[in-house]
Amino acid sequence: MSDPSSAGGTNVAGESPRVEPTIETDEVTITDDAELERTIGLTGGLAIGIGTMIGAGIFVFPGLAAGRAGPAAAGSFAIGAFVALLVALPASELATAMPKSGGGYYYISRGLGTLPGAVVGLSLWFGLVFATAFYLVGFGYYAVDTLAELGVPVGDGLVIPLALLFGAGVTVLNVTGTENAAKLQNGIVALLLSILIVFLSYGGLDTLGIIGEPSAPEQFAPFGTTPVLTTAALVFTSYLGFAQVATVAGEIRDPGRNLPLAMVGSVLVVGVLYVAAIFVATGAFGSDRLSTFGETAMVEVGRHYFGPAGAVAIVFGGLLATMSSANASVLSTSRAIYAVSKDALLPQRASHINLRYGTPHVALGMAGGPILVLVATGRVELLAEVASFLHLVTYGLLCVALLALRRADPSWYDPDFRVPGYPVVPILGALASFALIGFMQRTSQLVGIGIMLATAGWYAYYGRDVTLKGVVE
Amino acid sequence: MTRVLVPLAILEGESVSTGLPTLLATMDVTVLGYHVLPEQTPPDQARLQYEDRANAALTDLVEAFEAAGGSADHRLVFTHDRERTVDRVADEAAADAYAITGATGSVDRLLVSLTGDVAVDRITAFVAELVGDREIGVTLFLATDDEPGGRESIAAAADSLAERGLDVETTLAVDEPPLEALVEAATSHDAIVMGERSPSLRSFLLGEEAERIAAEAVGPVIVVREESADAAATREQGMDADRASQPED
Repeated sequence: MSDPSSAGGTNVAGESPRVEPTIETDEVTITDDAELERTIGLTGGLAIGIGTMIGAGIFVFPGLAAGRAGPAAAGSFAIGAFVALLVALPASELATAMPKSGGGYYYISRGLGTLPGAVVGLSLWFGLVFATAFYLVGFGYYAVDTLAELGVPVGDGLVIPLALLFGAGVTVLNVTGTENAAKLQNGIVALLLSILIVFLSYGGLDTLGIIGEPSAPEQFAPFGTTPVLTTAALVFTSYLGFAQVATVAGEIRDPGRNLPLAMVGSVLVVGVLYVAAIFVATGAFGSDRLSTFGETAMVEVGRHYFGPAGAVAIVFGGLLATMSSANASVLSTSRAIYAVSKDALLPQRASHINLRYGTPHVALGMAGGPILVLVATGRVELLAEVASFLHLVTYGLLCVALLALRRADPSWYDPDFRVPGYPVVPILGALASFALIGFMQRTSQLVGIGIMLATAGWYAYYGRDVTLKGVVE
Repeated sequence: MTRVLVPLAILEGESVSTGLPTLLATMDVTVLGYHVLPEQTPPDQARLQYEDRANAALTDLVEAFEAAGGSADHRLVFTHDRERTVDRVADEAAADAYAITGATGSVDRLLVSLTGDVAVDRITAFVAELVGDREIGVTLFLATDDEPGGRESIAAAADSLAERGLDVETTLAVDEPPLEALVEAATSHDAIVMGERSPSLRSFLLGEEAERIAAEAVGPVIVVREESADAAATREQGMDADRASQPED
């Protein structure tokens, strides 16, 4: 461990990064005067990863993606999975070398320095805020569909109000709720996986013509290859969850084993499910009709294969999945804010815990407030792409940080897991992350760049005297 | 020496009763201050805010144990999972027992439960060491359906304690609900010593037996832990090492 006195500098408010030497074991982090129990196992880690991701890819994107790329949208999801894997492997190495809360921000600030760290840390905050808003709008669509299935058709006008209501509810529950919801999250993910596996196996067999009526073959990529790539950029939001596992890295037991398994494993699981879901969905309706069903197209697919019961199962699954994605992302956002404020790049007040509930209400508020503003815009595709943009910048820089750390090889850098295929995998990971950004809509790119410039401006104003490179607890 | 773990929810104002340091004066004590956090809160975040306050409180408690003549240290853990933390620290500190602090003044008489599938030898050895040469009486308690068998085993345990100079009485509860009978007997005693039992469906549904008794009986409950596999292995290794080293002596 490096000399803690190298943690240097102060921000405008005169606060310094709060860094202390620690000893990490498989079960606990030992600081000078206290111990921090690691309580999340492999199941919990997978549940965070899968639970964050599954809501978007299966329950929101199929209709939108098929409308843009045809059946080749399955290819877009496969490309997304491939890029996510290229990043998940380097992220796993960094996470096992630095099993700390904060994830990508922590690795980049320690590997590349304070400016990239600050930009990434703050961008990750906004990236998670955009992603959560996106999940919440998805939730709104499912809530309206649920009401419709229950015989209360209210129309799409209520999508945003319901999403806002639920977003506020999630924030308030996270501030006041002291019940441990982790077990509930594990259960929800297990239930979702069961519903999906039954549904996709049956639908897959049907699409292949093994059972039921053979479906009309359709041209695989009716719009050519470019839409496949732009769609990959859009649906990449469905793969943001694996890095959320890294934001709780400080609480994962046996991190050398469980972190890589949870990150890579969750990407593989959801990647397979996404590709299968698109395959089944386009098999049921053809991409043209599928796209007319919009955000909740999977409900119609469920109805197609299993009748009303199928529709109800998918509506129910969609509600659960978007809820679990939104909740997991709010938690990650609060951890991202904490990691940055601990290093004095945000006021340290932001990580204050309230006495009554023991929850970080300031950070949760800094997550919930902007989320509600963004939900109110209701722009699903823009929210998704900006979220992906900000995460992809992090992912690209994370691969660069890995390369930089491997070259500098500081004495504290001793990962339990080493990325296979070094240096090809991190180089490809960085290139692929940045390339995917190039396929986004112009508006999303401009919003993303604007946010990054704003974070760099904040750094220049607030924290430019803080040094973090190589500062490891 | 034998070590007793005293877990306390330190930031929620849990503290030890005045009689407990005196009772445990013959033991090494580890005071485990823990703070359970909701999953929204990273343990490190809570540490930054609370560790000074918690350590100050723990230092005071350690002083209380030392003032009573015992030896004590303390640890502070921030966690999401109390059970896991208590088990881990008990293993790491090689604690032979843990205490659920109750309210008590000076302890004159201990109630020692031998009910159920517990390691009677470990419990009696622990009680003998706990009492030491002090004037603390011991009542052995056994709830059973098998009266002759119960009478025999409780007498054997009483003899082994009496041999070591302890003032021993026995109470046998036949065909009574064991937990209620124990709590009933506890009214005339200041503290309870019992053995740890493997988790059962009952403990899963109703909570751990020791905690239920502690809640009913008011006074402190000291739970003698089952010997862990590790400890058993070390002890055997130790015996092997003794044997191996004998020729050299």
